[in-house]
Amino acid sequence: MTAMIQLSNVSKWYGSFQVLTDCTTQVAKGEVVVVCGPSGSGKSTLIKCVNALEPFQKGTVLVDGISVGDPKTDLPKLRSRVGMVFQHFELFPHLSITENLAIAQMKVLGRSRDEAHERGLKYLDRVGLKAQAAKFPGQLSGGQQQRVAIARALSMDPIAMLFDEPTSALDPEMINEVLDVMTGLAHEGMTMMCVTHEMGFARRVADRVIFMDQGHIVEDCTKEEFFGAPRGERAQQFLSKILQH
Amino acid sequence: MNYHWDWGVFFKSTGIGHEIYLDWFITGLGWTIAVALVAWVIALILGSLLGVMRTLPNKALSGFASGYVALFRNVPLLVQLFLWYFLVPDFLPESLQTWFKQDLKPSTSAYISVVVCLGLFTAARVCEQVRTGIEALPKGQSNAAYAMGFTLPQVYRHVLLPQAFRIIIPPMTSEFLNVFKNSSVASLIGLMELLAQTKQTAEFSANLFEAFTMATLIYFVLNMSLMKLMGWVENRVSVPGLIGSNGK
Ligand SMILES: Nc1ncnc2c1ncn2[C@@H]1O[C@H](COP(=O)(O)OP(=O)(O)O)[C@@H](O)[C@H]1O
Ligand SMILES: [Mg+2]
Repeated sequence: MTAMIQLSNVSKWYGSFQVLTDCTTQVAKGEVVVVCGPSGSGKSTLIKCVNALEPFQKGTVLVDGISVGDPKTDLPKLRSRVGMVFQHFELFPHLSITENLAIAQMKVLGRSRDEAHERGLKYLDRVGLKAQAAKFPGQLSGGQQQRVAIARALSMDPIAMLFDEPTSALDPEMINEVLDVMTGLAHEGMTMMCVTHEMGFARRVADRVIFMDQGHIVEDCTKEEFFGAPRGERAQQFLSKILQH
Repeated sequence: MNYHWDWGVFFKSTGIGHEIYLDWFITGLGWTIAVALVAWVIALILGSLLGVMRTLPNKALSGFASGYVALFRNVPLLVQLFLWYFLVPDFLPESLQTWFKQDLKPSTSAYISVVVCLGLFTAARVCEQVRTGIEALPKGQSNAAYAMGFTLPQVYRHVLLPQAFRIIIPPMTSEFLNVFKNSSVASLIGLMELLAQTKQTAEFSANLFEAFTMATLIYFVLNMSLMKLMGWVENRVSVPGLIGSNGK
């Protein structure tokens, strides 16, 4: 099986503070990997290394065989092939939903306005929000905004999707509408790397679970192993805390 | 006070040609607007460039912009004007010097000096507003834009600047008004803008109070109209669903 995303011995420092230590893992094509761990353990930093939103000092990251850290790599092009969904949605508030969906298709992929709108609306329909096309992000609920953000990423035809706590900023009643969209994607075979604490989602759709602590990947196993008998003490503590809810 | 008010003075002949005093005020207002608008265009373009530069990761560019702001904000406007009008021309190449000092009408060379001076001075202030506006945006906005494959210029053009400029309309409105108010320094190098015409009217007619009341009134109405204009602009570009968007 070829790895769509391959991280090898990635280390990163903020000044003298080491955020990531020797992180090695991979996400195969079509695989869904959930990354969890306590706050501040480096999950966001790790996932941002995948599309070079964060530079790293040691190790290599390959996306579809292309080295992210190589200065010769065309980063905008590489990033345009990897979708990313953020905790705080990050829709562009000054653009309508349709424009949010179309802008990168037009400016980055060079698609025509008509084509970009058509594709955008197709994915908007997929996340069940076609009726909101003319609205602005500020007029939608958090859950709706996050679904638009997913549609926006999908309309770029990504080869993989990164999610950084996509439901953490949502009111409880809106979490499921977002998880449902993500579950649908996973079932269609999208390659996904998801930072999330939604263990129900992990149980349902993850192939593997990674547990991070203080910048280290301390568990990296199948979900059966992870939920069955996580070896590390920290992972056990973390799980017992999080599963109480 | 034993002052004889005479509001009819504005319609009296100045004794120069067929002009009445009101004509002087109209000419003055024309110069004031001509100075302020051109200076504002310079300030807006240069200030936006500098403001963007200050937020770039490149140390040389942001350093240059900070140096510019420090220089132009910490020297009094009037000192800057005298430098531009009396000193800078002496450093021009020979041919430009004769052109500036002899070929141009005195009013034209004064106009150029004051427009350059006010434009560059205000650019430093615009720069700081633009920088503040950009820095006020969440880091996630540029992250999201980069993540979709935007290049740095595209991130500024499509994501950061459209939002930053909307945020800073209120402080930019006061900078815009300041350019009009500050344009009165031009009277000190002999440009016959509104304040200079007012002083001249006061001297010629001896109706000092009427002249300055008129000037006050014109500046006031002018600035109120500009505020209305900017309010209209703010409304035009307001985004539905955002705070301060009047719910439209
Ligand atoms: N720009 C930064 N400068 C310095 N330290 C940072 C920066 N960003 C994150 N960190 C630190 O790096 C660690 C990991 O952060 P993060 O990856 O956001 O953790 P997580 O997503 O797991 O909560 C935290 O201790 C955080 O304080
Ligand atoms: Mg995080």
